[in-house]
Amino acid sequence: MEALDTLKNDWKKDKVRYPNFSEKEIYAMLHKRSSSIVKWILVISIIEFVFWIGLSLLLRDSPQMKKVNSLDVGYIIIPLEIISYAIILYFVIVFYKNYTKIKVTDNARKLMQNILRTKKAVTHYIYAMIICYFVSMIAIFALFFMYDPELIHVIDSYENSGNVGWFYLIYISIALIATGILLVIFWLFYRLIYGMLLRRLKRNYEEIKKLDF
Amino acid sequence: MDSVMEKSFVQQLQENQNLIHKICRLYTNNEDAHKDLFQEITIQLWKAYPKFRGDSKFTTWAYRVGLNTAITLYRKKTRTINTIEFDNTLHKINQEEYDYQEEENIKLLYQAVQQLNDIEKALVFMYLEDKDYSEISETLGITEVNARVKMNRIKGKLKKILNP
Repeated sequence: MEALDTLKNDWKKDKVRYPNFSEKEIYAMLHKRSSSIVKWILVISIIEFVFWIGLSLLLRDSPQMKKVNSLDVGYIIIPLEIISYAIILYFVIVFYKNYTKIKVTDNARKLMQNILRTKKAVTHYIYAMIICYFVSMIAIFALFFMYDPELIHVIDSYENSGNVGWFYLIYISIALIATGILLVIFWLFYRLIYGMLLRRLKRNYEEIKKLDF
Repeated sequence: MDSVMEKSFVQQLQENQNLIHKICRLYTNNEDAHKDLFQEITIQLWKAYPKFRGDSKFTTWAYRVGLNTAITLYRKKTRTINTIEFDNTLHKINQEEYDYQEEENIKLLYQAVQQLNDIEKALVFMYLEDKDYSEISETLGITEVNARVKMNRIKGKLKKILNP
């Protein structure tokens, strides 16, 4: 007899004494908190959305931004702001749409696909936000160079002493390092949180995909 | 959600809880994890219950949600148990805790099934539950032919584990 059929015979006999939960115990379970990965993705995503919106509000009140605003360059800054809010809104909608598609009664493959799609929306959102900030930063730097009288004055004095190359080098290096640190933090965050959360799901999804070559 | 609905759900689950226990048995290897998975499946069932229209049997609906929770949604509690020795003792304790009292070869068979991956376990579970291939393929989202092919491979794999 095949090994599995031997097992089936035993399985059907139902001679194992499983714990028998009472109705009261089951009631209690209903009101416990779920720790499913879908819930974790939702929590992390909300944190992501709040984080980036919070960051943009925080930066708006920063002395640097006040300085930028004093340069009278609204024709560049306002469109950038509108674009970044439009991107946030777009991704909130995409995320919500994908999230509502996750149904535990779907087949396993579709369920996994929908979860991964929802998570992907958040990943794309993060990339879009990083690019947005990168573009904004370059724009702000460029505006300072073009319009900030103090900076223009400093550049002039470096030019006169022949050290302007050093000045640009240091200025750009600082900008790159700051951006680099930001990117590394996000990369680590991603590797850690989503890596831990989705490792098993990804493995199972690959396994199912492999079955349907 | 209203209490009438809650009552009927709890009643049905209480009567059919062995089905969920069977899933937990395949996917966990100690009592805590078993209870943890049981609880998560219960929560997922309850969340999905308002949309359960009764056009399929409660058990058919419940085993699908149960398997999906075990394969996809459930986040195993991470415990730092790494050494093989520890795993072995853990397994022995389980056998006693569960009081399965199986004959030696049945015990070995269950241990072999434990070594399969999550998807393979789902196929084995449905096979043991006498589900036909059309239902297996529908539950996992693969074609019937591929479900059969995979089932044969699992049988081969189990043979290899049992007779290395």
